[in-house]
Amino acid sequence: MLISRRQFLKLASLSTIGAVACNFFDEEEFIAQSPVRLPEDLVTGIDNWYATNGNGPETEGLLVRVIEGRAKKVQGNPLFPTNKGVSSIRSEALLQELYHPDRLSGPMVRTGPRGSKESFVSSGDWDKSLEILYKKLYSLVDHDQMLMITGAKRGSLAFLIQEFTNTYGGNHAVCKSVDELVYENTIKKVFQQEKFPHFDIAKSDFILSIGGDFLGTWLSPIKHGRGWGEFRQGEGRSRGTLIHVDSRFSLTAANADEWLPITPGQEGKLALSIAFVLLDEGLIDKTIADDLTEGQGSRALIDFAPDTIGDQLGIPHVRHRSTPDIIRETARAFAKHGQKSLAIGGGNAAAHTNGSFNMNAIYLLNHLVGSVNTEGGIIFNPSAPIPELNVSLKPNSMIEMESITKKITDGGVKLLLIHGSNPVYSMPADLRFKEAINRDDIFVVSFSSFLDETSQMADLILPDRVTLESWSNDIPDPGPGFQVVSMGQPVVNPLPGINPMAFGDILVRMGHELGMTDNPTFNNASYYDLLRNHANRLFSLQRGSITKPNFDAFWNTLLQRGVWWDLESIGDNQTLEIPSLIDTIKQKSEPAITGPSGSTHNIFYLVPFEHISLTDGTNAHMPWLQSTPDPITSVAWTSWIEMNTDTAKGLAIKEGDIVNIEGANGETISAQVYHHPAVPPTVVSMPFGQGRKSGDVYSKDRGPNPMEILGMPHDKHTGSLAWASTTVRITKTQERTPIPKFEGIVPAYATSEEEAIAKVTNES
Amino acid sequence: MPKKFIWVSLGLGGIFATTTVVLVAIFILQAWWGLPFNVLGWNDPPVQPIAFPHTQHVAVDGISCAFCHRNVLEGDSASVPAVELCVFCHKTIQGDEAPPEIQKVIDHYNNNVPINWEKVHRLPDHVQFSHEPHVRFLTETQGLGLEAACSTCHGQIRDMVEVEQVRRLKMGDCVDCHRNNQHLTENTGITDCTTCHY
Amino acid sequence: MAIQHKWGMVIDIDRCTGCQACVIACQAENNIPVNEKVDFLSRRAKQWIRIDRFWEGEYPNIKARFIPVLCQHCENAPCEPVCPVFATYHNNEGLNVQVYNRCVGTRYCANNCPYQVRFFNFFNPKFPESLKNQLNPDVTIRSRGIMEKCTFCIQRIRRAERTIEGKEGRVLNDETMRDGNYNPACVSACPTETLTFGDLNNPNSQVVKKSKNKRNYRLLENLGTDPNVIYLKKVDPHHQKEGHHA
Repeated sequence: MLISRRQFLKLASLSTIGAVACNFFDEEEFIAQSPVRLPEDLVTGIDNWYATNGNGPETEGLLVRVIEGRAKKVQGNPLFPTNKGVSSIRSEALLQELYHPDRLSGPMVRTGPRGSKESFVSSGDWDKSLEILYKKLYSLVDHDQMLMITGAKRGSLAFLIQEFTNTYGGNHAVCKSVDELVYENTIKKVFQQEKFPHFDIAKSDFILSIGGDFLGTWLSPIKHGRGWGEFRQGEGRSRGTLIHVDSRFSLTAANADEWLPITPGQEGKLALSIAFVLLDEGLIDKTIADDLTEGQGSRALIDFAPDTIGDQLGIPHVRHRSTPDIIRETARAFAKHGQKSLAIGGGNAAAHTNGSFNMNAIYLLNHLVGSVNTEGGIIFNPSAPIPELNVSLKPNSMIEMESITKKITDGGVKLLLIHGSNPVYSMPADLRFKEAINRDDIFVVSFSSFLDETSQMADLILPDRVTLESWSNDIPDPGPGFQVVSMGQPVVNPLPGINPMAFGDILVRMGHELGMTDNPTFNNASYYDLLRNHANRLFSLQRGSITKPNFDAFWNTLLQRGVWWDLESIGDNQTLEIPSLIDTIKQKSEPAITGPSGSTHNIFYLVPFEHISLTDGTNAHMPWLQSTPDPITSVAWTSWIEMNTDTAKGLAIKEGDIVNIEGANGETISAQVYHHPAVPPTVVSMPFGQGRKSGDVYSKDRGPNPMEILGMPHDKHTGSLAWASTTVRITKTQERTPIPKFEGIVPAYATSEEEAIAKVTNES
Repeated sequence: MPKKFIWVSLGLGGIFATTTVVLVAIFILQAWWGLPFNVLGWNDPPVQPIAFPHTQHVAVDGISCAFCHRNVLEGDSASVPAVELCVFCHKTIQGDEAPPEIQKVIDHYNNNVPINWEKVHRLPDHVQFSHEPHVRFLTETQGLGLEAACSTCHGQIRDMVEVEQVRRLKMGDCVDCHRNNQHLTENTGITDCTTCHY
Repeated sequence: MAIQHKWGMVIDIDRCTGCQACVIACQAENNIPVNEKVDFLSRRAKQWIRIDRFWEGEYPNIKARFIPVLCQHCENAPCEPVCPVFATYHNNEGLNVQVYNRCVGTRYCANNCPYQVRFFNFFNPKFPESLKNQLNPDVTIRSRGIMEKCTFCIQRIRRAERTIEGKEGRVLNDETMRDGNYNPACVSACPTETLTFGDLNNPNSQVVKKSKNKRNYRLLENLGTDPNVIYLKKVDPHHQKEGHHA
């Protein structure tokens, strides 16, 4: 090998300096590059912070630090009314989505058998790939045979998807298994609201939370967290109290002043029992009480008297009190703070066959103490400032998904477009979605940026731009109680060699080429133009936080701030009708728990939960999210099953033992046991989010997903998946592997009373 | 073979070996404390892809340093100019009948290919250096002109056909200056390790 | 006139929910390689800031206590005198400094740290090629054989000094620090404002005001390390007596 003098010098300096100091001496270390063109705002070594928005289920206003065209750090946008300058772990990981080693570099077509990673080859340039899609859309005779499956979307993209399916004539479905349908339905019934309301946690004095892990994963944890800091130690207020009722020890339970374990599915009865105490002891306004009960007073709820139903709820003797006493004390504490008391619930309380009953009962409590539309209570959110942005694509229920899957199985769908969701992975295994689309007469187009379980089944993959590269807007849901429109801009360009195309652009172009131009939406040159048009509508309102004489100035300010809001436009609080409590009482039903039968000593309620960072598994390919320790168990990179320490010891199961878990549908998965001192003895818990069968090195083979053994029980009223309503049989296997967890990495360094690390006082 | 011959050759070899070791030691020690001797091409100014004469641009044309190295007044690195900036002038200056070196620049521009200059000064990764405060200190507090400020570390660039490193830029170099000027700055932590190492 | 800062942090554990946002924010800012599964199994996971979780009581009267622990930047740090090469020392801004290029990796400091917040690089860090684009150019990547720990995001403090004090000629205080995104990454990320960062020498700063709260205490106070991180106790109305078990 010939070495030039220059190379020799490089090698020589490499070895000397490399031995002394740090690493990474790349070729680039020795050059200073003159780019051909240099944008004015690019100063080498100086960072720019661009405002944009996160694209997840909860909208976050973000600031992204960009140095020399590379995104370096994501932080919250301080102007943004919901997250106010902070960000979640999920937003942090947008950087890894952007620079993920396994991102698809461009459009791909399938050449081999369906479902194999090796079947895909690059399909060349975009024009060629879009031609394939165009031909499929054009040649489809019966447009009813087109089905588009997307994730839950809001803002202009939701509008565009809706316009496309309406104009073209196809069908549309939103696929998300851990959905908020029951909650949404409850809000409609109890408060007659379309939009999720804002919980005024910051100004509340007492929160009774049932089921929903609102500090961890439920709805909008970052927004709740902003309120939480104030709730606990805000200036000029006394410390708020949280009582959390939950069948598992969630992050919210860990932070509550009191955690009341309960038998899964009994949450509604508890709420009505509390209502009984409120009425019976005359703790609330008599007129409200009469309105709600049609004049019957506590007699209407006599079946729910604490002494009558106390034994059915499964609440243990927390602080050595009997269950009826616990209910009465909780009710009194709740009533004491009047309009500053908040009753919220969701999560596993809603994920039962009687979920709607549970949720109705919980939210009615707010009416009893009058904390609806008041400071420190539940505050309604207005609809979007312009109708185009009011479109919100909400998940379809499990029953609807069943009929959609049946239609695919029966050959009723010839063209399937899938964007922003991974139904093969995230839907319960019993839906058999993968088997449904595994047929020859269906053409599947995926818009995923990664090869996941669903895109692997596709015929054509047209990778979308990732969040930090795309134009977007969004309406936060739940919002902060007034109108907010968030705006997202590309903060960086795709890396060289990565050639994605925005989904919105593809839809606009297809609409245009298919001659759908009667609909003005498809007269836009691009998705960007559509966003600008919608922003123009917003500009012409001439109100809110940005008022400018001309649109260009408005647009620039909007991009700079990343958000528009109008404090004056608040939720509708005029037409509130208080629903009758009697209706809810009539709905009373016991949860139908399904599961294996036989001897009961090893049968447990299965209460799954959303993983703190992976949530339902859509983010499982981000290494940071995988390496985030679960806050309670500190387990990372794997799935686990939480068992009460004493119960596990009783079954001779050690920590790390692999157990077989037989579920409601007869299937069995196996997972490692974590000894958890705070899980109720009758319950085991498992996180959603792992169990990816294909995909990249980060997400693959990381333990099972409880979705595989749930079967498909559903809420009676909404058809939403009742994912907390099954039991499982646990049987020990002979295998055992250590659990990857942070716990124990740092040796216990001070645990005696005097040297306590986390000191506690009882004076606030 | 006579014994004497062996002794002589061993002696000569010993002298030769000792000399080599001493020379190498001197070379290493000298390179440790300062710039290495210019032996066998060590420490030659790097050969640039385009022979850019600072003599012409600075000394003759009188272009300010910050015109091309435009980040030096605001950013961490002084930055080399975009090809665009070169062509901005060279479109008209010797545009038609360009000498080969200028033609190279124009080719880079037309073909949309960046120029990879060889670095002359390079600091290891564990040193965090920002030009901006140094230039600000030298011009505002010390009252030097911009070119004089740059020359403090980079030498008389205006006289260099090929730019070479003139100061060692070892830690001692930095600390000497920081120590001597500590009383002149507001920052008392100027000789602290975390001024540069973090 | 010389401006003398003394950086410090107040951590109100009554606000902390244990959500781990600070942990990942720190990893993103400070070029900490992703903690792989094998790092957890071999007990070599690096978290400059971590959330410790303690159990208290028995089911059903059980409580989990969360506390974020990071380098305490002790005024009287046990890690400093044991370093044979002076790679760790206390500077006049209240920071406990780790100088990477001086460190020879004896690990004495980690042994002597009562808070267990120092981490050793047993291997060279590995980043997938494309993910290197995310690395922060302001922070040195630590190679094999050296110690690393929380720096209070000194790179952000230095930028703030250069920009706010130097270029713009303004005063460096709580507001300017926050508005310019110069607060440490963990402080910027915390949803509940558990963490407050600021200048302990500035009587008007939030850290000084909050540190006067009657709930204040410092970790392992009896060791006399005099940390610059001040904790505020967790409030629990049902709490009987001090103490918990791990």
